[in-house]
Amino acid sequence: MSAAVASRLTAVCRQFQRVVTVSSHTQTQYATRAFSTFHSCQQSRMYDSWCFRSPMNNRAVHTSCVRKGLEEFFDLPENWGEQTVKSGAPWTAKQLRVKSNEDLHKLWYVFLKEKNMLLTLEQETKRQRLPMPSPERLKKVERSMKRLDTVVEEREDSLRLLQTGQERGRPGEWRRNVFGKTFWYRFREHPIPWYLNSRYKRRRFFEPSHVAPYTRLSLEKYLRSKIRKEKREKRNQKSLAAMFPKKTALASDH
Amino acid sequence: HHIRMISEGSCDTEDWRNDLGNPQLRIFRPTFNLTLVRPGKEQPPDTVQFRIPLEMTKFDVRNYLEKIYSVPVAAVRTRIQYCTNKKRNHLNQRVKRPDYKVAYVQLAQQQTFQFPDIFPEKDQKHEEGSVEEMQEKFMEDERQRQKSDPRRGGVTEWFGL
Repeated sequence: MSAAVASRLTAVCRQFQRVVTVSSHTQTQYATRAFSTFHSCQQSRMYDSWCFRSPMNNRAVHTSCVRKGLEEFFDLPENWGEQTVKSGAPWTAKQLRVKSNEDLHKLWYVFLKEKNMLLTLEQETKRQRLPMPSPERLKKVERSMKRLDTVVEEREDSLRLLQTGQERGRPGEWRRNVFGKTFWYRFREHPIPWYLNSRYKRRRFFEPSHVAPYTRLSLEKYLRSKIRKEKREKRNQKSLAAMFPKKTALASDH
Repeated sequence: HHIRMISEGSCDTEDWRNDLGNPQLRIFRPTFNLTLVRPGKEQPPDTVQFRIPLEMTKFDVRNYLEKIYSVPVAAVRTRIQYCTNKKRNHLNQRVKRPDYKVAYVQLAQQQTFQFPDIFPEKDQKHEEGSVEEMQEKFMEDERQRQKSDPRRGGVTEWFGL
């Protein structure tokens, strides 16, 4: 129970990771979950857990939260000057879907701060003309953030569908542009109606008469290419069947 | 419009009322990234220099630092750095270096900040039997082989015998 509370506390405040040297077995269990890529290294920094910095990497305990906040733009001091900094696998969408909305909100800020730190490091390495230690961390964080975004969008979509039946959050409609192409026009907010908006009235959402023949031609081109593709597929399958008839496969078995 | 961040602490309904001016945009998960940079020119001790996205304003920077990093901010000044479109690639096409915005943030409460040295010299002690140890040993041997005979006293190989 206390371990759960401790892990919740560490989840609440990322700064706790610099402070709390929890040596309980459950904490290290939480820190080294199965999907970390560095199974053998006990002291790796785990990206896929609440504690970005494994408690064992901490220095001596100091009881205040990170002072001045600007220290969070930099890595832990013991990682300065290292050639490589170990980190775990990025979060997957499956793992993120288990989390509650508050947890995802907090995790977003954890990712944001980590990304800021990595960008600071990258810029400084460019300045000093040195190689950046472990640049793959940036990609991992970016992917984790994208997946978090996907999960939140999924939840919002489902809520909206259940409550209002709207498929999209932002209203829009299908329109035809000057080139004859049909596209999804997304509405914007305006303080005035459209018939008072001179710039909007200059935009033409219809195809002029001289463009109409080209719409048909482009449609024909598209259909032609689709049919050619299907025919090519069928031809390929036929020639493959001719090369490898089914009878020989059965004959070789016996 | 400037953007106020919603962080863990401040979901109070009192914060949301705006009696004057236009409605203020509030976002839940900001996508802005701040990069702390070492100043090119000497700056006063309380000034911190950031590279921020072009869409951010001074108010956004202040709210960002105060809410997310809890850094007390006294003043923010920004400028946009225009980067060259003159360079050309191997196909003689012009290549634009992206523009960026720089923010000079002055800290409140008489705090100072000095950009630290992130790449101190470290004595690398590899553990026994590891790959890095063997590589290091190999490189040492190679270097030793390249060196000339110390008994020649610095005389080059050109002089025979």
